[in-house]
Amino acid sequence: MKMHKRSVVAAFACLVLAVSAACCAEVTIKDDLGREVKINSPSERVVFMMENALKTYYAVGDPEKIVALKDDKWMRKLLEDIFPVIDPDFEKKLTVSITGDRVDLESLAKANPDLVVLWATTPDDVNIKAIEETLGVPVFAIFVRSIEDVLHQVDTMGVISDRMERAAEVKGIMHDYMNITTNVTGSIPESERPKVYWMWTDVLGTAGVNSGINDLIELAGGVNVMKFAENETAMTMEHPVVNLETLIKLNPDVIYMWYNENLDPKDIMTGEEFKGWRDIKAVKNGRVYEIRNPYLFDAFSPRMPLALLHVAMDLHPDRFKDVDMDKIIDDFHVDMWGVHYPSMEKA
Amino acid sequence: MVGSPVPYKKYLYIFLIISPLIAMVLSLFIGKFTISPDDIIQMVIFNLMGAETSHPSVYKTVVFEVRLPRVLLGMLAGASLSVSGAAFQAIFRNPLVSPYILGLSSGAAFGAALSIALAPQFPVQLSALFFSLLAVGFAYYIATSRGSTPVISLLLAGVIVSAVFDSLLSIIQMAVNERALQSIVYWLMGSLATASWSKIHSTLPLALAGCAVIYLLRWRLNVLALGDEEARSVGMNPELYKAVFVVAASLAASSVVSVVGIIGFVGLVIPHMMRMIFGPDHTHLIPLCITFGAAFMVLVDDIARSGMGFEVPVGVITTLIGAPFFAYLLRSTRSGGWE
Repeated sequence: MKMHKRSVVAAFACLVLAVSAACCAEVTIKDDLGREVKINSPSERVVFMMENALKTYYAVGDPEKIVALKDDKWMRKLLEDIFPVIDPDFEKKLTVSITGDRVDLESLAKANPDLVVLWATTPDDVNIKAIEETLGVPVFAIFVRSIEDVLHQVDTMGVISDRMERAAEVKGIMHDYMNITTNVTGSIPESERPKVYWMWTDVLGTAGVNSGINDLIELAGGVNVMKFAENETAMTMEHPVVNLETLIKLNPDVIYMWYNENLDPKDIMTGEEFKGWRDIKAVKNGRVYEIRNPYLFDAFSPRMPLALLHVAMDLHPDRFKDVDMDKIIDDFHVDMWGVHYPSMEKA
Repeated sequence: MVGSPVPYKKYLYIFLIISPLIAMVLSLFIGKFTISPDDIIQMVIFNLMGAETSHPSVYKTVVFEVRLPRVLLGMLAGASLSVSGAAFQAIFRNPLVSPYILGLSSGAAFGAALSIALAPQFPVQLSALFFSLLAVGFAYYIATSRGSTPVISLLLAGVIVSAVFDSLLSIIQMAVNERALQSIVYWLMGSLATASWSKIHSTLPLALAGCAVIYLLRWRLNVLALGDEEARSVGMNPELYKAVFVVAASLAASSVVSVVGIIGFVGLVIPHMMRMIFGPDHTHLIPLCITFGAAFMVLVDDIARSGMGFEVPVGVITTLIGAPFFAYLLRSTRSGGWE
């Protein structure tokens, strides 16, 4: 009997070990900064300190494995549209506060994560060091510089959630919807591609040629006007700030504004404060556009194909005049997250 | 100068008084958009005569809608910050004082951030102006007790108000998205990049009023700089004049800060430079601060807008250019001209 009991305990122990080994194999992956990070695949308790990767994870992984989110009003607003529908526990997730640019280690420790995903631009990032050294929790750093990085992020979330098949599906969906745009813009000759000035919220701040927005403009059938900048430093910076004379000299055909709560295209075209802009071709021809909804048309998330189509339709209205944008948005959300948009009903 | 046996100071004084004109003319020829000097001269002359020229409209836009408003706004900002700094330094009898001593910059920064991040329906300029004056008002209220406003209380009240508004600004910075944060940070660094005629029109009345009051009452600063007791002994009401100068200097500085953001160093250093060269007499110091402050800011902004391929916040350049010059003067005068 005693022997039998021991055998049962031993068998159970073996089973636990086998299951834990099977469900949480340790794998080594490279993050966006090229650091080698050892993580469990799937990671069982993930904390997201940035919204773009979270959206990707929601498209690929199991929502239950997200244990905490960054305490960020912007992110909450960003996600409230769709994610409470696909994740019933969304509102109950723990939040991790940020003081200045430092992650609060105590609130992070409370979530007891086995992986933290955050935005960082350098391997020496203070938050990476603090979390790894103090809490001993692996950190996956996200740093998006191109459309390719956005697609690569899907693979990353596939590894983190151990759902590579779904990741491949998601990438397929993204490619399919990107093709709606690129099938049209791919054949546009160089001479018909408008020169585009991308306007971040700081107005004279723009996207350099080594940026994700540069890729977006090119795929949408335009050319980033910064490609013609004389100064190489300015051209290659991720977010150069030009002066108005440089912009007048570059003379873009189109000005494309990131969503700006303080400004509308009309202000640029007719506002008293923008009188110095009147001789720019884009202003003269009334070709100033704005990303209408920064949540929906987020270029650094799985929704990138929608942002791409949005920009392409403004750059080449004639070539996309038959496109039903609302239907595409709804179809996309059904394919990606199984939810209708904007009704938010489950498909 | 004036009173000085060294003749070169007389010439230097005259040169500094006319320096804004020289800087303005020079700056019209500097920029990223290439226009020949002949074309610029022709356009300016024709424009002054009210005649039309055959130059491309983009040339006119660059000269009259981009460069000229930027140069004039720079002059206004430099003059206002310098004269405001000189007045505050005299009132506080303290060489470390800048126009931002009473929490003006912290209030303006909070106001701007509030508008950029949370209340875009309120224009940034208006919000920054309102909160900068509110901060100074708070500081003055805290420091005033039984009809008297001791300088040390005012100084400490400024520290308190600055700290409160800095904390409120931090809360906003924590709550906003990355792009809004970037806009706030860029605003905080100060720039003349978005200069326009409408900004000049909205800034000019307050800045001019503040500068004019300080200019017209400038000799009283000499008395205030000696202390309250000395001021009373010559029949002057120090509380009244302190209040007048604080209001005037705050109006001058707030009006430009609300438009160009926080440009450091100018308000602190230009009065010192002038004091080191020409002595502490405010009858000469104030006009010199107005003119050299204007010229300095315009020339520094020429570097900010044309020195590199991208726009550098002018506040960064004012410090990089001003600091070595200031250090040189500091080493070559006793106690920085305060003795």
